[in-house]
Amino acid sequence: MTPAATRRTNIAGAIITVITVIAAVIWAFPIYWGIVSSFKLEDEVVRPYIELWPEHPTLRHYWFALTQTQIGSWYMNSVATALGVTVLTVSTSLLVGYAISQLRFPGRRALWYLILASFMVPTQVLIINHFVLIANMGLLNTWAGIILPQLIHPVVIIVYKQFFDQVPKEFREAAVMDNASELGILTKIYIPMNWGVTTALSIVTFIWAWNAFLWPFLAVTRTEMMTITVGITQVSDAFGVYYARQLASAVLAGFPVALAYLLFQRRVTQAITLSAGIKG
Amino acid sequence: MADIALQNVSKSFGAVEVIKDISFQVKQGEFVVFLGPSGSGKSTLLRMIAGLESIDRGKLLIGGRECQALAPGQRDVAMVFQNYALYPHMTVRDNMAFGLRNIGMKEKDIAARVADAARILEMDALLDRRPSQLSGGQRQRVAIGRAIVKEPAAFLFDEPLSNLDAALRVRTRVELAQLHQRIAATMIYVTHDQTEAMTLADRIVILNDCRIEQIGTPLEVYTYPASRFVAGFVGSPGMNFLDAEISTSGKEAVATLGDGSRMAMTISVPDGGAYELGIRPEAVQVTTGRGDTTGEATVVENLGDRTLVHTRLNDGTSVIALDGGRSQIAPGDTVTLRFDTSQLHLFDSAGRAYHAD
Repeated sequence: MTPAATRRTNIAGAIITVITVIAAVIWAFPIYWGIVSSFKLEDEVVRPYIELWPEHPTLRHYWFALTQTQIGSWYMNSVATALGVTVLTVSTSLLVGYAISQLRFPGRRALWYLILASFMVPTQVLIINHFVLIANMGLLNTWAGIILPQLIHPVVIIVYKQFFDQVPKEFREAAVMDNASELGILTKIYIPMNWGVTTALSIVTFIWAWNAFLWPFLAVTRTEMMTITVGITQVSDAFGVYYARQLASAVLAGFPVALAYLLFQRRVTQAITLSAGIKG
Repeated sequence: MADIALQNVSKSFGAVEVIKDISFQVKQGEFVVFLGPSGSGKSTLLRMIAGLESIDRGKLLIGGRECQALAPGQRDVAMVFQNYALYPHMTVRDNMAFGLRNIGMKEKDIAARVADAARILEMDALLDRRPSQLSGGQRQRVAIGRAIVKEPAAFLFDEPLSNLDAALRVRTRVELAQLHQRIAATMIYVTHDQTEAMTLADRIVILNDCRIEQIGTPLEVYTYPASRFVAGFVGSPGMNFLDAEISTSGKEAVATLGDGSRMAMTISVPDGGAYELGIRPEAVQVTTGRGDTTGEATVVENLGDRTLVHTRLNDGTSVIALDGGRSQIAPGDTVTLRFDTSQLHLFDSAGRAYHAD
């Protein structure tokens, strides 16, 4: 590269960096503001000017959230329902994805189109049906009631099908020659060959389920059965809103997901890219 | 070990018939090569024996047992795939043990078989590696090892050398021949490479357009090709073909070539008339003495021990001739060619072959 061209590249790079930093600040500031405010006294939070750091840092709101609310139960409910959704969604989706990708049976194409079509129906459209169904089944205010309607994730099936499609057919044929059963081929060849995608899809499904609000909000009315996303809306009392308290419980609610992001950053990015590629 | 028989076997993909009424038998311990161009049906035929493709009509007998309706795993055959299909997440040992575990064999027996196969293929040191840590040749060997441990009635090879580089291919070819001698197993091998077919096979099955053109030993198909197709497909460089007008009287015939030259031969053809005359390059000698015709050298390929002289006759027909290793011929030279008439073949319009005595 000529020196002039190098200089142009550097200038372009610098501009992009500046824009990225500005965007990152705009995006990250509310999170910073939320976290910082949760350590402030309630009257500091409502002051009409911006204070970037608490004047008298305090943990009292966290103490309140942890001791005076049912946050322990909410955590437990969230962990149980998010894990349930993740395990069931991933295990059923990989079976469906495998069947559609590898097995030849009547109605395969129709089933595939049905799955693709169901992908275009937003959950909100179905939510009344879900509610009536779950209510009739007597599952409101139960973990099963929270989990069941959340198992519909066509995108997980689609990603699995695409990955299984890409496995060269010789592996399957070699396994068939090796006397492997259909379930054996799936569990001993196809899943181990696609561990990466299973990990990525599990993490992202867990995060979806953890962050789910609308359905758990409708399916649960008893405070002790709430998931954490629903539960934190309850951290107010008859005398009005306490922002710092609410922010402290929000930070606690978001903590596991943030941790998951940090630990599995690469896998999460991969999963989001995979599903975004399909979601278009 | 067992013999394999195909009886009137056919197969279609939709409306397209890809195997047309094929019958033949592979004897116990025999090395049979299916040779043919792309789309000739050779791989499909192998996959039908393996059970990876269904057999629409006809019978498949392996060791006398009817197998056309059995699942691939129950046919007692093992297959080596073109791209080896080694399970990437398993070690070499697990790759080899996978099929044995699926039939519920005891771990002790599996270990013994894997050790045996590793010894035969000299790959003891590789057993704990993953396929990604192996070279192409080593992967090839593991794929063969995976077949050996099953102690199958027959081995099926689907173009197993085509992913190797030229030098390794030659070496592995020799190893395969040695392996066949050592374990004396029935082997069926698919290739489009006629050198592999000629060097490895006890018998070659030549397929073209979904049917068998000829079955014979390598020397038979080379010396007495059953059809114009076989004559052109087997041999490198390929056979020379020249248009000829044949006049016959009994077993004697005289061929008149396009450039007007004539040659007499002993051959039995039903009638005179237009034929295609075939002769291999090694039966066309460049001579300084009397010859059958003359041509102009267009390309001279010096291969060290011999020289291939590409010539053009007066009527424009191309003929490849053979000269010694230290040929002085240069492109543009006029050369005299002598045809060894005992090695001539005539092909009629239907492609049927007649061989000179």
